[in-house]
Amino acid sequence: MVLAGLVSMQDATTSDGTGPTTGGRLPLPVKAGDTTAERPWPVRHLAPKIADYIARMPPVWVEGQILNFKRWNNLWFLTLRDTDLDMSLSVTAPLGAIGKVADQVQDGSHIVIHARPQFHAKKGTLSFSADDVRLVGLGELLARIEHLKGVLGQEGLFDERRKKPLPFLPGVIGLVVAQQGDAEHDVVSNARARWAAAQFQIRRVTVQGPRAVPEVGAAIAELDADPRVDVIVVARGGGSFEDLLPFSNETLVRAAAACRTPLVSAIGHHLDSPLLDLVADFRASTPTDAAKRIVPDVTEERARLVQARSRSRAAIRARIEREQAGLDAIRSRPALATPTTLVDQLEQRLHVLRDTARRSLDAALRHGHAEIVGLAAQVRALSPAATLDRGYAVVQGPDGHVVRDPVDVGAGDRLRIRVAAGELAADVTT
Amino acid sequence: MPKSAAEPQNPNADVAALSYEQARDELVQVVARLEAGSAPLEDSLALWERGEALAARCQQWLDGARERLAAVREPVDE
Repeated sequence: MVLAGLVSMQDATTSDGTGPTTGGRLPLPVKAGDTTAERPWPVRHLAPKIADYIARMPPVWVEGQILNFKRWNNLWFLTLRDTDLDMSLSVTAPLGAIGKVADQVQDGSHIVIHARPQFHAKKGTLSFSADDVRLVGLGELLARIEHLKGVLGQEGLFDERRKKPLPFLPGVIGLVVAQQGDAEHDVVSNARARWAAAQFQIRRVTVQGPRAVPEVGAAIAELDADPRVDVIVVARGGGSFEDLLPFSNETLVRAAAACRTPLVSAIGHHLDSPLLDLVADFRASTPTDAAKRIVPDVTEERARLVQARSRSRAAIRARIEREQAGLDAIRSRPALATPTTLVDQLEQRLHVLRDTARRSLDAALRHGHAEIVGLAAQVRALSPAATLDRGYAVVQGPDGHVVRDPVDVGAGDRLRIRVAAGELAADVTT
Repeated sequence: MPKSAAEPQNPNADVAALSYEQARDELVQVVARLEAGSAPLEDSLALWERGEALAARCQQWLDGARERLAAVREPVDE
C-alpha cells in the first residue's frame, strides 16, 4: 500500500484527478456517494467541492452576541454566539461593514449581521463574511422583551397560583451568584445573622454577557435536582439594561419557571423588572432583602415561642379555674348540698296536711255537738210538759187527734185526757 | 351467695364514661329538676344520687387536668 501511496503523491502535482487517467490510475468517483475505502477522494478534491456547495448558500441575516472581537489590518474578527445556547460562528467583517458600530460594541452586544458563508479550503474551516453589521438597539431589545412577557403571561407562567411558598426553615439554601461582587456576601452574611446554622450550596457563575444564560440555567437545574436544597436564590447586584438582559432571556426564564424548588429572584434593578422577577416564586429587591425572606429571625421566633407557651398555659389554667368555680357553685346549691331539705319539705307538707285534717275533724265534731245541743233545746222548748204543769190538760179523741172543738167528738166517744201527773180515760156525755 | 337477677344494678355506672362537658351539662339539668321539686320522692332521691355521681366525675376531670398541666411544666428559658 505504501507503493500505491507514493504513486498518488507523485501524480498529485501533475493531475487534477478527474477525466482520463495517465499512468494507470483509476478515475475518481464523480459523486461523493460513490466513494469507497478503496476508491476515496483526496483532500484536494473534496475541499473545493465543499467550497462550491457552501457558496451556493445565499447570504443570510443572523443575530447573536459578540464574543471576542479584534481588529487586524482592515478586518474585524469576531465570534457570533447564540443568545441562549452554547453555539457560535466565526465572523469576519471589513471595516466598512462595521463602520460606526465599532465604537459601540463590546463583548455581549447584540448584533445582527448580513453575511455569506465561506469555506476556507486550505484549513477546512467555515466562517461568515459580513457586509453589514448593525446593533440590535435598546428599543428593539425592549420590544422583544415586552413581546416575550406577553407570550409568557398568556401561558400563565406569571400566575400567582403557580408560585410556591418559601419554606419556613430551609435545610439547604441554593445560591446562584457572580464570582465577584457583593451579592454572595450580602446573602450569606445576612442569612447567618438571622439563623446561624443556615447551610448553603453556592454556584458561582457568569451573570452577564453571552455565557450568563447557559451558566445560570445550568446552576438552577443542578440545584433544583439536589433534594437537599429547599430554596434557590438567584442574586446579583445592579447593572445596566444590557447587563441584566440575560435575566429576561426566554431560555433562562423558562428554566426558572420549570424549576420545582421555590425560587427567589434577587436581581438589583432600577426601572423595569427583568422577566425572572415575574416568574420567580418570590422577588426580593436586593440580595440582602432575599436573605431576610428565606430564613426566619431565630431570636424573634424563640421569643414568640416563649410567649405562645406562657399564653397557652395561662389560658388553660384560667379555663380550669373557671370550671372549678362553676362546679363548686353547683355543688353548693341546696338541692345537692343539703339534700335532707327534700325530705324535710315533704315531711313538713305531711304535718301541715295532718294538722289540717285534724282541725277539720275537730271543727266538724264541734259543729255537730252544737247542733245537737241546739236541737235538744228546741225539742224541750217544744214539749207540752210545762203547759200541763200549769193545770192544762190535753184531750185526745179516739183517733188520736187533739180535741179543740166540742163538735170534733160525739156522745159516747172515749177520750184520752193527759194531765201533768198522768192520764185518764173519759167518755163524752154531751 | 350467687348474684340474683333481682339485685339492683348501679344506675349511675355510665357516669364514669362521660366526658367533662357531658357530665357537667347533665349535672346542671339534674339540679334544675331537683329545685323544681315536682318529681315523686323516689325519683328525687334517685336524681340526687345521680347528681352526686356527676359532680364527682366533673371534679375527677378537673383534678386530672391539673395533674397533666403540672406534669408538662418545664423551665421557660432554655
